[in-house]
Amino acid sequence: MNRPLALAAVLALLAALALPLGLDPQGYAIRVVTLVFLFGAMAQSWNVVGGLANQMSLGHAAFFGLGAYTSTLLLVHFGLSPWLGMLAGGVLGGAAAALISLPTMRLSGHYFALATLAFGEVMRVVANSWSGLTGGPVGLSVPFAPDSLWLFNFKATLPHYYIALAALCLVTAVFVAIKRSALGYRLRAVRENGDAAEVVGVNTARTKLIAAVVSGALMAMLGTLFAQLNFFFDPDTVFGAAPVSIRVALIAIVGGVGTAIGPILGALVIIPLEEAANLFLSSQVAGLSGFAYGLILIAVILVQPHGLASLGRRWGRGRRGAP
Amino acid sequence: MTGDPILSLRGVSKRFGGLQALGDVTFDVRRGEILGLIGPNGAGKTTLFSALVGLHRIDAGSILLDGREIARAAPHRVAALGLTKTFQNVALFADASVLDNVLIGGLLRRDVAGARAFAGECLARVGLAGIAEKKAGDLSFPERARVEVARALATEPKVLLLDEVMAALNHAETAEIVALLRQLRGEGLTLIIVEHHMKTVMALCDRIVALSFGRLLATGSPAEIARHPDVVAAYLGREYVG
Repeated sequence: MNRPLALAAVLALLAALALPLGLDPQGYAIRVVTLVFLFGAMAQSWNVVGGLANQMSLGHAAFFGLGAYTSTLLLVHFGLSPWLGMLAGGVLGGAAAALISLPTMRLSGHYFALATLAFGEVMRVVANSWSGLTGGPVGLSVPFAPDSLWLFNFKATLPHYYIALAALCLVTAVFVAIKRSALGYRLRAVRENGDAAEVVGVNTARTKLIAAVVSGALMAMLGTLFAQLNFFFDPDTVFGAAPVSIRVALIAIVGGVGTAIGPILGALVIIPLEEAANLFLSSQVAGLSGFAYGLILIAVILVQPHGLASLGRRWGRGRRGAP
Repeated sequence: MTGDPILSLRGVSKRFGGLQALGDVTFDVRRGEILGLIGPNGAGKTTLFSALVGLHRIDAGSILLDGREIARAAPHRVAALGLTKTFQNVALFADASVLDNVLIGGLLRRDVAGARAFAGECLARVGLAGIAEKKAGDLSFPERARVEVARALATEPKVLLLDEVMAALNHAETAEIVALLRQLRGEGLTLIIVEHHMKTVMALCDRIVALSFGRLLATGSPAEIARHPDVVAAYLGREYVG
């Protein structure tokens, strides 16, 4: 990382740490920023598979929901701390990712997207139907027991804000570490030419499998954060294609696939945009908020097809006067 | 020059639908030699290379590398055992820099830092040290072919298969590569090359294997091959008859 970039990252982190001082700790704004961090972290875990391996997963809700249900069910039935439940969810999420990765790793492009989309939907249907375990369509409530750090239970949004911020930093650190490691180079080679990568010694199957497991495990752990923040969720919220799978892919794509800053920028744009569209337009005409939101997204993708992250690169090049 | 066999093919066969791409191909490659693989277009040269490195699973036969069966091993295993190839149509990681392309090969036996340093050495060997930071996709064809060679060298192979790496090179560049290949042979590397430029093949190779329609036509020294009636009829044409 070069100097100005590192400086910008430190400044952004300081700003994020100080921001709640100016916000109502119970208010709406801090909740939106918390969601920005959480969805930024989710998009960053998607980025390991979607960006580094360039496999367009539309099924990451499967891992997210798995994590949310695992920690919450362990909490409800056994009183297990969600922090430990989060680890259990991460293990299950990683295992599920390995399971889905094995049959789909030979698929590419649209076929991989469709297969993963189907996997996410299967998980949603299962969660809706298996009422005995999941509570079915009624959903699941996290027992209210504020304010306990051990039980990850807070009335105010402020603790969640810092936890989500820490999660975003950690997942981003994992992403950067992978990108710079041998695994990152191998993923890049696999993405560009699988046969050539194999012939010079890259175990393409293992490379894709590791990326999928890391991505799925991180996504599942973030499911716990979401459950504890919301106190309530149902299969459609955590396993849904539109609210989770497509949303995290969209955030990473709008921000810049394969870059560390992309999912963060994407979340900074998309989450507030969604909230604003809902806040100002949903009371006007039915569907107007979704329409406006979609329109803005199309505009962003048309203007900046490589994501918002490429804006910075373009600006940097312009400043140095290079072609 | 005549070493023990490092690579042995026994009855190697491969069929694509109705096409017998390789039929019962049997020959040995000796340690430390440069072996030329010749044959008309469609003779199965590139298919044979792909079969050797494990990209095509052969239907029958056996391939022994240093006495170990590799016919059913995945390409990355074959590479780890010391056999790799370059791609005829050039298959670089186009978005990555030249150095990063070669680094991938180096990762087979080194960590990232070690692979990066070694990639620099490999690039210097093929005369491309000056363009390490260029994007591979922006290179000219001859440059890309040389990056292929550097990337393959970075895996530290015992046997290296070079598929038309001298195509589209000018005289000076060809001479450089020929000198490099001789030097690599001097260091103990075994090379199998496919090239269309016959004079280069005849001058460079210790022995030649001629294929036609996926079958072995003849094996021998360049002089023997040039005189071999079947080879002359199938491939070389009048120029080499007299």
